[in-house]
Amino acid sequence: MGFLQRSANIVTYEWRRALAKKWLYALVILALALQVGLFVLFYYFFTNPPPGFTITGPSLEEVKAMMWLVGVLGPQSLFIPLIAIMIAGGSMSEEYEHGTADILLSKPITKIEYMTGKFLGGLSLLGFVIALTTTLGATLAYGFFGPQESIQFVPIIYLVLLYSNMLFFSMTFMFSEVLRRTTLSILAAIGILVGSVFIGSILSTMYVISGGEQLYLEISKWLPNWSVSNLPSFVASELITAPENPFVSVPGGDIQLAAAIIAVYTVASILIAALKFVRSDVTKRTG
Amino acid sequence: MVNALASQQVIMVSNLTKYYGNFKALDSVSFAVDKGWVYGYLGPNGAGKTTTIRTMLGLLKPDQGEVQIAGVNPEKDPVQALQIVGYAPELPALQPFFTGEQLLDFMGKMFGLSTQDRKERIKRLLDLVGLKEWGDKKIGKYSKGMVQRLSVAIAIINDPMLLIMDEPTIGMDPEATAHFRNLFTNLSKEGKTVFISSHLLDEVQRICTHVGMINKGRIVFDGPITQVLDAFTQQWVIEAELKEVTKIMISALKELDYVQDVKAEGNKLRIELKEKKDLRGEISSEIFKHKGVLLSLNLHQITLEDAYLRALKGGQ
Ligand SMILES: Nc1ncnc2c1ncn2[C@@H]1O[C@H](COP(=O)(O)OP(=O)(O)O)[C@@H](O)[C@H]1O
Ligand SMILES: [Mg+2]
Repeated sequence: MGFLQRSANIVTYEWRRALAKKWLYALVILALALQVGLFVLFYYFFTNPPPGFTITGPSLEEVKAMMWLVGVLGPQSLFIPLIAIMIAGGSMSEEYEHGTADILLSKPITKIEYMTGKFLGGLSLLGFVIALTTTLGATLAYGFFGPQESIQFVPIIYLVLLYSNMLFFSMTFMFSEVLRRTTLSILAAIGILVGSVFIGSILSTMYVISGGEQLYLEISKWLPNWSVSNLPSFVASELITAPENPFVSVPGGDIQLAAAIIAVYTVASILIAALKFVRSDVTKRTG
Repeated sequence: MVNALASQQVIMVSNLTKYYGNFKALDSVSFAVDKGWVYGYLGPNGAGKTTTIRTMLGLLKPDQGEVQIAGVNPEKDPVQALQIVGYAPELPALQPFFTGEQLLDFMGKMFGLSTQDRKERIKRLLDLVGLKEWGDKKIGKYSKGMVQRLSVAIAIINDPMLLIMDEPTIGMDPEATAHFRNLFTNLSKEGKTVFISSHLLDEVQRICTHVGMINKGRIVFDGPITQVLDAFTQQWVIEAELKEVTKIMISALKELDYVQDVKAEGNKLRIELKEKKDLRGEISSEIFKHKGVLLSLNLHQITLEDAYLRALKGGQ
């Protein structure tokens, strides 16, 4: 039995641990239900447009053919980062809080193998949830609005979504090990998510007030939410050549920068978590 | 490593010092446990037993000193060191979302057991710890005692050479306690080395071959159980109550070659013996000779309890 086998044992353990959580089902079902609701609204809107409503630019048919982007990217705005935070928040800390860390780490496994299993277990679960929302998004678009264009890019967009969500996942995972308190870790991560949205909007206001001072924009890009919320649409706009579309807006941007920022946050979080974990005692029940 | 195996040393703890913040929980703790021993790690609550055990398993980092399990440092190489270890934590917490069978199966996987082995052992172990009917129930539904029993089953899922148990019978009812003490003795007969912590002298006295006593983070005695008495016994004492005590009687008793000293207090005599022997017969006939009327005669031999209390005092 080697590193992979031992880590894989923890991956399956992590799945079973997470799948025992009722809130996880509730969140996922809520996310899926909102996706359906959104499509029902769009469908109603397109079939019964308010009197005098016209679309400037693309034809209604062109808009409908791109609706899969709404379905695939929609959940990224709130639900997926939230689910990432919720999954990672208890990953390390719950074992300390419940006192189950002792029974796991007294077995023949290294701390790095254990942490790798925990991390990949949670991440693969998140990947599964994103696969669900992505599949549902594309299916809904097809079901409600007929054949979709450029739909062959769904797998790539899926991978980009997963990559983007590694930032908040890893950051929360790090909090989970460093703080060793689930609630605190989740609150810290949500605080950072909300805080960076808030600071981001202040910075863009400053940018406007200052008459285009670039520094404000540059700083705002390093806020954790900027890359996470923008990378998927940057990639989509790069891949898809469709006319400007007011319903499905995928603004372009610096893909490499966004990807690099995500990598920096992710790697830093993993390193901090690993250092803390390897260097400190396994604590007994704290909760 | 070769030396450790040659000397059959299963546990080697040397100069272990552990702080929690500024609090010194372990102070240069050293002891060794050889193959086949049932080692009782005895000490009052808060003595440092759990801290020692969790350091032995690599869960805590020692501030000084070292631990070896069969010659391997569990902190540096947990995969090798812990492969042969079974561990039942003090008041264990187990995953409530698993059934007993699922958790045993998962633990078996962590030791790399084959599917066939796991299946076989799970059935046998659930039976052994009296959870046959509960194997397919969620652990969340178990009582505390059942969790404790499952935890013992987990500790032996890998058929460990070394079994480490932290106060395994704490809170168990007398029947279960007897069952488990029996189980530990049987495991030892199979050739396993057993390390069992307890604050109950009686428990250690019943099942252990060797004792380590710890108090306030320090080892105050370490040796075979038979030596515990010897080590702390100064002498055996006979206490006699008489109707009347005479001076002649006292000096006659003092003359006996097996008597160290005689102390009188009212009509009570405290006769300190030179030998660790029950000499009540000899003493009573000597008292008779001098027309004494015995009301009571007791041999006071130093028990493990005294030795324990004495050791604890020594450690302060
Ligand atoms: N995590 C901790 N932080 C601070 N003090 C602790 C911690 N764990 C144990 N202690 C203290 O260390 C001492 C030894 O504890 P422990 O090893 O649990 O003793 P025992 O198992 O013999 O009852 C006790 O005084 C206890 O209060
Ligand atoms: Mg204890």
